[in-house]
Amino acid sequence: MEVKVDENDLKAAGAELLTGDGRHGICIHGWEIETLKRSILKSSTAQEWEQKLQTSHLPEMVFGENSLILKHVKSGTKLYFNAFDALSGWKQEALPPVEVPAAAQWKFRSKPSQQVILDYDYTFTTPYCGSGTIEIDKDKDASIAEEQCNLKWKDCEDKIDVVALASKEPILFYDEVILYEDELADNGVSLLTVKVRVMPSSWFLLLRFWLRVDGVLIRLRDTRLHCMFGGAENPVILRETCWRESTFEALSTKGHPIDSGAYSDPSIISPKLPVVMHKTQKLTTSA
Amino acid sequence: MSDLDRQIEQLKKCEPLKESEVKALCLKAMEILVEESNVQRVDAPVTICGDIHGQFYDMKELFKVGGDCPKTNYLFLGDFVDRGFYSVETFLLLLALKVRYPDRITLIRGNHESRQITQVYGFYDECLRKYGSVNVWRYCTDIFDYLSLSALIENKIFSVHGGLSPAISTLDQIRTIDRKQEVPHDGAMCDLLWSDPEDIVDGWGLSPRGAGFLFGGTVVNSFNHSNNIDYICRAHQLVMEGYKWMFNNQIVTVWSAPNYCYRCGNVAAILVLDENLNKQFRVFEAAPQESRGAPAKKPPPDYFL
Repeated sequence: MEVKVDENDLKAAGAELLTGDGRHGICIHGWEIETLKRSILKSSTAQEWEQKLQTSHLPEMVFGENSLILKHVKSGTKLYFNAFDALSGWKQEALPPVEVPAAAQWKFRSKPSQQVILDYDYTFTTPYCGSGTIEIDKDKDASIAEEQCNLKWKDCEDKIDVVALASKEPILFYDEVILYEDELADNGVSLLTVKVRVMPSSWFLLLRFWLRVDGVLIRLRDTRLHCMFGGAENPVILRETCWRESTFEALSTKGHPIDSGAYSDPSIISPKLPVVMHKTQKLTTSA
Repeated sequence: MSDLDRQIEQLKKCEPLKESEVKALCLKAMEILVEESNVQRVDAPVTICGDIHGQFYDMKELFKVGGDCPKTNYLFLGDFVDRGFYSVETFLLLLALKVRYPDRITLIRGNHESRQITQVYGFYDECLRKYGSVNVWRYCTDIFDYLSLSALIENKIFSVHGGLSPAISTLDQIRTIDRKQEVPHDGAMCDLLWSDPEDIVDGWGLSPRGAGFLFGGTVVNSFNHSNNIDYICRAHQLVMEGYKWMFNNQIVTVWSAPNYCYRCGNVAAILVLDENLNKQFRVFEAAPQESRGAPAKKPPPDYFL
């Protein structure tokens, strides 16, 4: 069901699809946008990650080699999204664990001798909103010398232009990349994905952390990035972060259903969830 | 050709049975399963399979690698349903084989063989979609209550879906469980279907969820020793390589759903035991994309906001 992009649309937008070596991406207005999709981590690599992250637990499915990369070639600005950085964020935030409904019953169970209670955040909640560096190729022929520094995102009052994004201009490139996923041992879902669409006038992406602990909690952490292609020499990227969260209890008092089956699509649930954090930031690339 | 043989042929083509046929099949299966022990005796040679999760076309790959039933004897460790697209056809084929060749195939219960779990993770919706009513889901979940909880191969290899329980130290304690019920939220029966081995604990661990036991090497060692078994074979957890030994080869996880959820890219494995209990893991990959009727890898572009 590969969707073919209209060659004429690409040409008209001055865009070119990345080809060769199974690459998947697009070049447009000085941006190289590319996705990488592979299998989940092998056990040996997962162990290495555990050591690096100083944890004994990773999500059941870590798509460790998956990523979305957006590089503005001229300024060397590189935005990227990967599981490792997201899990570093999880490790740092280290939220206390959420008890599942059965836990209430379990408190009355007779305890085995020498019981260890694990207390890591098994929901893998992360504040991750993407990674970024400035990459300068000093000498393209020699081994690539990179100068890296953190990008300077500044708080702002601007809003992502949803009206412009709603217009049905052709999508020249689209992809969705899973970074990690966990089934919470059949107690719900924890899922971090990023999807991107590139149109003739802009690129737009949504990084979404989606958590449902059945019968307990729903958490949605969305990060949206938007960059309009325009006359400006230095592209401006807007980043909107919106965190929403509700307990099942709070949903039920508002008359919403409480069976988990009703909460499989985060896009539908999103408006029902109160916003707990919202901010907009801006990044101006500089040559 | 008998009705049952015809139904098996039909199910092998991934065509579901009529509702009335499902009902009749489940009644026959119940008569067989009710006689089985909570620790069902299994003779070698036998091939052990882990989670399938409705990945029908991948299960057909499994049979290609392991051989057809009844030529090969099988032991399935549960989690036949949910997650994949063909839970109905997968479970019914296994059940039809069970009714046709009761001594050649053993099915034990996984934590997904439960009313509550199947309502969240796909089987319920699939039944409703394919039959327009939930009757088939009812017949199947009623059968789930009759599935055995574990198996013992030649008195040497203990097989269970999840793992051990602090309430169980001998196989006889498992034999006394009244299993004909929905999987409870706690207690021995729950643990057998839900618990996991865990490297970082030595004895028992409690999951950070506040429910669910983890067990360490010492627990496995003493269980194996006191029950005079060589090792434990279980399923329940995704393993990228298809199988994984832990605790000095005292327990092995076998996972039989390749490219789990049609996106993980993992291989699957089955454990082939010959008549002398010599082990051989057979690793296999998912059915080719075009033959399995699953959605394409690439999602269609959407105007997400």
